[in-house]
Amino acid sequence: MSETTLGGIAGRMPKFIRRADPAVVTAFACIVVLLLVGSLYSRSFLSPEYLLQQLKVASFLGVIATGMMLVILLGQIDLSVPWSVATGAMMACAAAAYGPVGVALAIPFGILCGVAIGIVNGIGVAYLRIPSMIITLATNAVAQGLMVVYTGGFSPQDAATAAMRYLATGFTIPGVPNAVIIWALIGAAMVFVLTRTSFGRAVYGIGNRERAAYLSGIDTRRVVMIAFAVSGGLSAFGGVLLAGYASKAAQSMGDAYLLPSIAAVVLGGTSILGGRGSYLGTVAGVILITLLQSILSVMQMPEAGRQIIYGVVIVVMLLLYGRAPASR
Amino acid sequence: MDGAAPLFRMEGISKRYGGVRALEKADLTVTAGSIHAILGENGAGKSTLIKVMAGVVAPDEGNMTLEGRDVTFASPAAANHAGIVCIFQELSLIPELSVADNIVISDPPKRFGMIDRKAQRRIAEEALARAGASDIHPLALVKDLPLSRRQMVEIAKALARKPRILILDEATSALTAADVAKIFGVLKRLREQGLALLYISHRMNEIAELADQCTVFRNGRNVASYAAGSKTDNEVVELMIGREYSHIFPPKPARPQAGTPVLEARDLSWSDRLDKISLSVAAGEVVGLGGLDGQGQRELLLAFFGVLRGLSGQILVDGKPVSIASPSTASDDRVGMALIPEDRKTEGLMLPMTVRENLSFAALDRLSKAGVIDRGAEQRLIDDMVGLLAIKTAGLDIPVGALSGGNQQKVVIAKWLMRQPRIILLNDPTRGIDVGTKQELYQLMRKLADAGAAILFYSTDYDELIGCCDRVLVLYDGAVKRELIGAEITERALIASALNIHGDDARAGQGESA
Repeated sequence: MSETTLGGIAGRMPKFIRRADPAVVTAFACIVVLLLVGSLYSRSFLSPEYLLQQLKVASFLGVIATGMMLVILLGQIDLSVPWSVATGAMMACAAAAYGPVGVALAIPFGILCGVAIGIVNGIGVAYLRIPSMIITLATNAVAQGLMVVYTGGFSPQDAATAAMRYLATGFTIPGVPNAVIIWALIGAAMVFVLTRTSFGRAVYGIGNRERAAYLSGIDTRRVVMIAFAVSGGLSAFGGVLLAGYASKAAQSMGDAYLLPSIAAVVLGGTSILGGRGSYLGTVAGVILITLLQSILSVMQMPEAGRQIIYGVVIVVMLLLYGRAPASR
Repeated sequence: MDGAAPLFRMEGISKRYGGVRALEKADLTVTAGSIHAILGENGAGKSTLIKVMAGVVAPDEGNMTLEGRDVTFASPAAANHAGIVCIFQELSLIPELSVADNIVISDPPKRFGMIDRKAQRRIAEEALARAGASDIHPLALVKDLPLSRRQMVEIAKALARKPRILILDEATSALTAADVAKIFGVLKRLREQGLALLYISHRMNEIAELADQCTVFRNGRNVASYAAGSKTDNEVVELMIGREYSHIFPPKPARPQAGTPVLEARDLSWSDRLDKISLSVAAGEVVGLGGLDGQGQRELLLAFFGVLRGLSGQILVDGKPVSIASPSTASDDRVGMALIPEDRKTEGLMLPMTVRENLSFAALDRLSKAGVIDRGAEQRLIDDMVGLLAIKTAGLDIPVGALSGGNQQKVVIAKWLMRQPRIILLNDPTRGIDVGTKQELYQLMRKLADAGAAILFYSTDYDELIGCCDRVLVLYDGAVKRELIGAEITERALIASALNIHGDDARAGQGESA
């Protein structure tokens, strides 16, 4: 009986006293180490231009990983990322072929196509109880098929619209690429959703114990559905930005984003089983992955060696902070 | 009592979790051939003590001796090897495997490197027989067994490891009376064979029947040791809670006049588990569900709460038929229902999430505007609830899994009270909870009823049904077999109707007229 009955004093402890998540700290520490290692190789790794360029490249992955994180927090996974990205890009470019209205609606249309894929995923997981690993893989294949049918097996001729190029490569604030601003805005929105809204709480609740969340009167199926729709939409938006960056859409443009988006989320300390993780960690994970890719390519490592190092580093880093303090 | 040399001794054992002292220089002496009961409220340090003994938790300080030699256990396997086997409160069986697989799981018999199925089955059968549960088929899957049978398997699994010291932590809390009697027979036989048994239970009558020696824990210390039977129940409870202990059950009000029933069921049936159940609960009434374990009580509560698909029959709230398709409809303001589920660890709480998040989880729609949580309102409501239920926690932002069992259960109840429900369904809410918290819950239940809530209360503990309920409906095989009102609720009547002895009694039937 010596424990004090809580009045709310302890509950209002300042936030900085709560311990920072060790995984997030580790991820940021790894970023610093990578930069230092890179700077031994070449001075330019610490130059502002290089760092800003990396941040810009990272923001495409960042937008995609944001949706992935939401799904992973639920304890699910979204493997339809590659063709959601491609569908978003290709459909946005395709819409631009239909006159000025098409140009104006290109970006929302591309995103909407991704949302549609996400909704199919969500229906499958939430209502039909199909494991997300299966249904998202299936929708990925279907999306791929649809895109191949649409293009007749060739890359679409339609180029990205000016608006898409502006979002991906332009500057609204001098010195800060628009893509970075977009990622920051999406990230801020996600932080708000996860920490301040009942939807965010429900996501964590479902990820921790779906049954308890359901018995608490949460409409768990709706939450899962929305999360997949958001993930699909953000993947497609990532695709739209990539198309703007490259000035055109390509079929295989999403392939390089599946593993990195999952790895970024997990390296950022989000539990692959769901229910635990912070957006700050995902930011760290995204930057970490981007830097790793960049440094390996700057070092002119042959492709095979790059893949091996890339995989090994992910495993090693996961081992590093899979080590939660022992419960003994 | 300490005529024989102690088999096992713990001295000055301390263990801290963060800032919380779970054990503070605790001592314990275990003698072979005796049953040693450990008493104390939840959070008193009993569970930590046996976790130290079983090698699950490493103590911060103190030493342990086994037959006079110093020992330390690096892992549960090391403790098992030394002959200390523990049956934990939380079940440790793997549901997808068979009973036999589970029993030999740590050390399966091998032949040419493969598991020897015949030998495995023989070992399992032997162990089940020793546990007095030879009616369980060794090849049955654990997931197909009801909770009480699983607990028997758990005991058989422990016996298969040939322990010298057997620890039972709340091992009977999920068992029916018949199973408990069997287990007691087994435990007494094991005592004669020279085993030392450590027995932890909240059921005083069990301890009185079984124990030779008792040790009471409070706040992480052993406050008293005495020979069983040398203290009255009241004295023991006072030692446990450290304060005067009076009427555990609050007084029942005079029989309330008939009002419109708030919750009503008509001919509720579901697969072969519920059979045309009709009942009604009025405002201010506590209606108990009795009967043996697994006679459809849990399904009935889940049916009301909208969890079961393919339900036939009608549910009425305030006299109007409603269709409750999910817990979210059940808990919305038109129905106002709350379910305190059976298993707080998997159904009631998200253990890794904070106390705060768990408390407000069921009331998020009320606490948020346009989906955004009003943190001021959340904090006020949480403060109210923490105060009302006297939840003991080191802070609102620690994982709820770090609280003691009783406080966890309070959080489950508080999270529903935040919605101010009019209909409260309780599924065995006092399982594995200490006496002090139980008493608080009984009083809370009556207070809620007095404030106008309709309460449907399932309990496996007959004393609770007798002490708390205005009426008790006894279920047998998915149907209401008997209704007991007021003074009719006695242990004898409950047991008789639970066993369906008066099955064709004139009073039997489903209807009632509150």
